[in-house]
Amino acid sequence: MFWRLLWQLLRASRGRLAVALVAVVAGAAVCSALVNLHLDAERKLTREFRTLGANVVVSPARAAGTGGEAPLLDTSVLDKIASSRGPEVVAAAPYLYVVARTTDGRSLILAGTWLDEVQRMSSWWTLQGDWISSRDDLARCLVGRAVARQFSLVPGRELVLRYAGRSVRLIVAGVVNVGGTEDNQVFVNLPVAQQLAGLEGRIGVVQMSVTGSAAQVEQMARRLAAALPGLDVRPIRQIADAEGQLLSRIRVLIFATVVLILALTALCVLATMAALAMERRRDVGLMKALGGSMNRVIRLFLTEAAILGVVGGALGWVGGVFLSGWIGRSVFGSAISPRAEVLPLTVALMFGVALAGALPLRLLGHVRPAVILRGE
Amino acid sequence: MFFRVVGESFARNPRRKLLMAAALVLGMAVATATLTVVLDVGDRLALEFRSLGANLLVTAQSDSLPLEIGGVDYRPVDEGAYLPEAELGKLRTIFWRLNVVGFSPFLEVPVEFRTHARAMTVSRGTLIGTWFEHDVPVPDGTSFTTGTRITHPWWRVDGRWPAEGARECVVGVALAQRLGIRKTNSLALRAGDSDVSLQVTGILSTGGPEDEAVVAPLAIAQSLAGRPGQYRRLLVSALTKPEDEFAKRDPSAMTPVEYDRWYCTPYISAIAYQIREVLPGVEARAIRRVAESEGHILTRVSGLMWLVTLAALLAATLAVGAASATTVLERSSEVGLMKALGAPGWTISLFFLAEQILIAFVGGIAGFGIGVLLARFLGQSVFGIPPTLRLILLPVVLVLATLVALLGSLLPLRRVASLQPAPILRGE
Repeated sequence: MFWRLLWQLLRASRGRLAVALVAVVAGAAVCSALVNLHLDAERKLTREFRTLGANVVVSPARAAGTGGEAPLLDTSVLDKIASSRGPEVVAAAPYLYVVARTTDGRSLILAGTWLDEVQRMSSWWTLQGDWISSRDDLARCLVGRAVARQFSLVPGRELVLRYAGRSVRLIVAGVVNVGGTEDNQVFVNLPVAQQLAGLEGRIGVVQMSVTGSAAQVEQMARRLAAALPGLDVRPIRQIADAEGQLLSRIRVLIFATVVLILALTALCVLATMAALAMERRRDVGLMKALGGSMNRVIRLFLTEAAILGVVGGALGWVGGVFLSGWIGRSVFGSAISPRAEVLPLTVALMFGVALAGALPLRLLGHVRPAVILRGE
Repeated sequence: MFFRVVGESFARNPRRKLLMAAALVLGMAVATATLTVVLDVGDRLALEFRSLGANLLVTAQSDSLPLEIGGVDYRPVDEGAYLPEAELGKLRTIFWRLNVVGFSPFLEVPVEFRTHARAMTVSRGTLIGTWFEHDVPVPDGTSFTTGTRITHPWWRVDGRWPAEGARECVVGVALAQRLGIRKTNSLALRAGDSDVSLQVTGILSTGGPEDEAVVAPLAIAQSLAGRPGQYRRLLVSALTKPEDEFAKRDPSAMTPVEYDRWYCTPYISAIAYQIREVLPGVEARAIRRVAESEGHILTRVSGLMWLVTLAALLAATLAVGAASATTVLERSSEVGLMKALGAPGWTISLFFLAEQILIAFVGGIAGFGIGVLLARFLGQSVFGIPPTLRLILLPVVLVLATLVALLGSLLPLRRVASLQPAPILRGE
């Protein structure tokens, strides 16, 4: 009986219900898209921050009281880093710096590294010529813009570097414009620098680019430090500090706006549902006149509102997935992955709002059927 | 007659108007708040990005190749070119002087040092001379306080910063650990023939190459290097606008109008150009790692905020539209009565529209007021500074409110106008 009544009720007023449903679906879509966006924005933004390059450095531990020059690392460190490397590590490159001399006696800094890894953490470098994409290419080098200008080098030219009686002959593959210290350096693959310096199997530091929040990076650094006893693993403070501060600001900003919009959408749905409830006055009057108990009547209408809220919420969630996907593509260039936990949240929110909108029905409890049926 | 009907409607039934007015006030308050915040968010975030440190590097034009690793120059003092410190005040006279947040000159000197703790150990290292917090006289008679406290906010000291002009220094944390230096020790430095003894006031931790060096006021490094009043490189932290396609063009190939537009926009290239104008013989370059990421992230975040604002506007529109549709539908019996009394459809519509516009105006103004307060609160709690009040938003919000109220009532009005009066009056 109850369900048949409900079914008839829904069928009879499908026009009105469709309008209310549109409002609920639109509200739910906006809400779920924004909550989705809010949950994903931080992860997306931390990835954007990786355009800043390396944010973790592995260096020899600062042993107290040893004095003298900073010590070097052994290449076996690299294997250990590689074995504990998770998906959060965007790139990791070892560096060995050598102050080499050119044939005319001027000094410059030769940086031995893994150029394929460097490419992944140096989005801001612009290149003229070719990049050295193989780690085994030992005959070519990349030169910084200032070096190229000072020694009038262009891609294809030859550069001879000397250090302590040894020398190496390199072909310039490309000129990099970095806009920083690196403009004054020459980049080669690690073995070239090691052989020139006579430091086979040694490196100076390892630079890593790690995604994640400041806490995640810190945690990853601690884990790595535990795996590498005797080494110093630390996040680069300049980047970590700025990133943390900026992210927290942006997060609060988005959160505040999302809360405002949620309130507004809830209000909108509430208004629609309240209007629907007020229109039901005549039905209530009729049911009471036919002897329906007020409890039953109210239950009927609350169920109607709840169905509206749940169906609208679920449909709106689907709309929200598309909406947040579109926002993600247009802002970040990659879609925002839909979160399953947003579905119950949206449905629950819409359910609550729809029920709240049906509350004015309670006021109808003491309505006298005769008055309503007369149309007053 | 017309106005009397409208007036009566407000006087007789204020509660009916309440829902509509509440929706309008709330919707417009949110629209005002989000618009105010989003218009300011670029500037605010650009300022926050200055915590990444300098984005411009100034060096001498005719310099030899710096032997820099990680930002510390290892060249001997007799090599390369220097720049005069006295001209630095001019940086605050360029067109975009207010966008120059801070600058710090640097001079690195290779030194030998002896700690008094271990009298016999002699080690080699680098002394970095810079300003910590320095008053620079500006040619227009004012003075400007700047230094690493502004350009390098991530530097932390355990102890206190050296006073300008005192024989004091801070020691990098790695070097201090290696040599066993504490923050009350004194340190004897020697470079070439000059000696100086410095009081260690603190242990510096930067997470960078300065951790391996001694950092002292610029004047001490100058006297040790025998280069009074000179520095090697200057780091400038400036507020900039993210580079777009226009900024990437070569200024020398622009038409005069384009050139003016470029010059009067705080692009990093324009600020670098203006620095070259006031400091002769220098090369000013963008530190692209910082500048490019900043532009990148700023574009993303402001795009995101605009979309969220759009969503807020949409939600506000929806709320106001729904409320206004409800108020019109609620009054179908009134419409029936008017029709029965012989009023033509358009008069009824006009009557309702006039009512909606009136509510939209009152609600829009109230919403604007509340929205400004909301934006102040938001800006204060997120950035610590309230956003600038933009009165231009008032007409925008009023027009939006009117449009939305009209749009929301037009559809139901058309339905109401086509109704037959008799069934409505019968209450069907």
